Amino acid sequence: MAAEHIIKSYDEELSRLSKIIVEMGGYAESQLAASLDAVGRRDSALAVQIIEGDTQVDDLERELDNLAIRLLALRQPMARDLREIFVALKIGSDLERICDYAANVAKRSIALSQIPPIQPMHALPRMAHLALRLIKDVIDAYVAHDADKALAVWRADEELDEMYASLFRELLTYMMEDPRNIGASTHLLFMAKNIERIGDHATNIAENLYYLVHGTALTETRPKGDKSSLEVVAPDAAPGR
Amino acid sequence: MSMSLSLAQSRPPIPDARAPDAPAAVVTPFPIKVQIRNVGFHYGTFHALKNISLPLYDRKVTAFIGPSGCGKSTLLRILNRIYELYPNQVASGEVLVDGENILAPGLDLNVVRAKIGMVFQKPTPFPMSIHDNIAFGIKLYHRPSKSELDDRVEDALKRAALWDEVKDKLRQSGLGLSGGQQQRLCIARAIAVAPEILLLDEPASALDPISTQRIEELISELKADYCIAIVTHNMQQAARSSDYTAFMYLGELIEFDETEKIFTHPRVRRTEDYITGRFG
Repeated sequence: MAAEHIIKSYDEELSRLSKIIVEMGGYAESQLAASLDAVGRRDSALAVQIIEGDTQVDDLERELDNLAIRLLALRQPMARDLREIFVALKIGSDLERICDYAANVAKRSIALSQIPPIQPMHALPRMAHLALRLIKDVIDAYVAHDADKALAVWRADEELDEMYASLFRELLTYMMEDPRNIGASTHLLFMAKNIERIGDHATNIAENLYYLVHGTALTETRPKGDKSSLEVVAPDAAPGR
Repeated sequence: MSMSLSLAQSRPPIPDARAPDAPAAVVTPFPIKVQIRNVGFHYGTFHALKNISLPLYDRKVTAFIGPSGCGKSTLLRILNRIYELYPNQVASGEVLVDGENILAPGLDLNVVRAKIGMVFQKPTPFPMSIHDNIAFGIKLYHRPSKSELDDRVEDALKRAALWDEVKDKLRQSGLGLSGGQQQRLCIARAIAVAPEILLLDEPASALDPISTQRIEELISELKADYCIAIVTHNMQQAARSSDYTAFMYLGELIEFDETEKIFTHPRVRRTEDYITGRFG
């Protein structure tokens, strides 16, 4: 880590900035884990609690923004300090989005708990566990300013993309088999998409972390495992036709 | 030590558009006005500068930053050989201005100083009228007619962004001006003799923020015509005003690069520690 500033209060403010990020990261993890519980246990009360809890992360993001603006105006940061503040702002915004997605999973779990469970549900916890690991790892990487660990997260997102693409195909087939599955499958598809997007935000954080450490942007092209947006299922391929 | 001294040379070559049939010529976008090469300096037995090499590009501003005593003002004093006024001060190496070594013995100092203007930290107007402060330098080198002299005084004051404030009191003493105006008067005096290089040693450190901004704006206008070197303790001022920045420490050049790189992503840890306020 870098040496201390001559002005100690500057260090304290920068340290508060990273504490807010860590707090937001921890919050994102717990919100997603709780959403997964709400889905698994079909627990609508828990889901409501998660949705209401989302305002806490909004408060943290506001505190982060205010502190960053204050640091920019009063400290006129340079070099690493400037990147530290710039990146904190971007990571804060990614973590806030992650919490929004987690809350959306919880919200859909309320609807899903009112209809009988469907078979492809089993894939959702696997996706969520991987997303949780990505969030945890990228926040650990942030705390340690470890660009290599951030790169590992950046690459691991491909697996999450593949899981989503696979679930997408499975759900399509499932809906075509029986239109009565469409309601539950659509909710499930959106939930899976939310989790897939959480992975994308984790990779954004990883990219910003890479920039923070090296001072240059990551220019490599990220491996993508989700081709679902290009997939077409012809009507005559549907079973029973 | 890490330096990128061949910045201009590393840019892609531009073919000479004026001679389409001739073999493509390589044009350096920013010609080097001053090449400081292996410059060392001693105050008596004290080794104040050690093997400094860097270019000053024409029509660009180069800022020198570093803690007190790092040698940045000493380097500026070498560039116009002011140090020779003092005993036991010895410079070594070469300072090539347009290829000519101005440290070489036997060179006419007046010619060197006519080419290189200097402005100091504390405004130093002469105890004479505003007009005569400017005219004094011009008359050292030329014998213009009165109207020509008046024109040159007006031109210098306009280029130093002072004309509007003093045009009605040109015969009043220069000492009656405010600090910021006095400093612009000194800049006008320096540019009145049509130098090619301007050396500014903390030109705004004694000025209020508004006067400081006027000086900075002036620097950005003057660089269209001059090669400018500025020594400053104010990091934001270096960041705002310069195109290139040199960081010096204990008589050595630690890093020299484009200003944007120095202040966003310096390559040397000591530079980063200094500009971020971590210097112990």
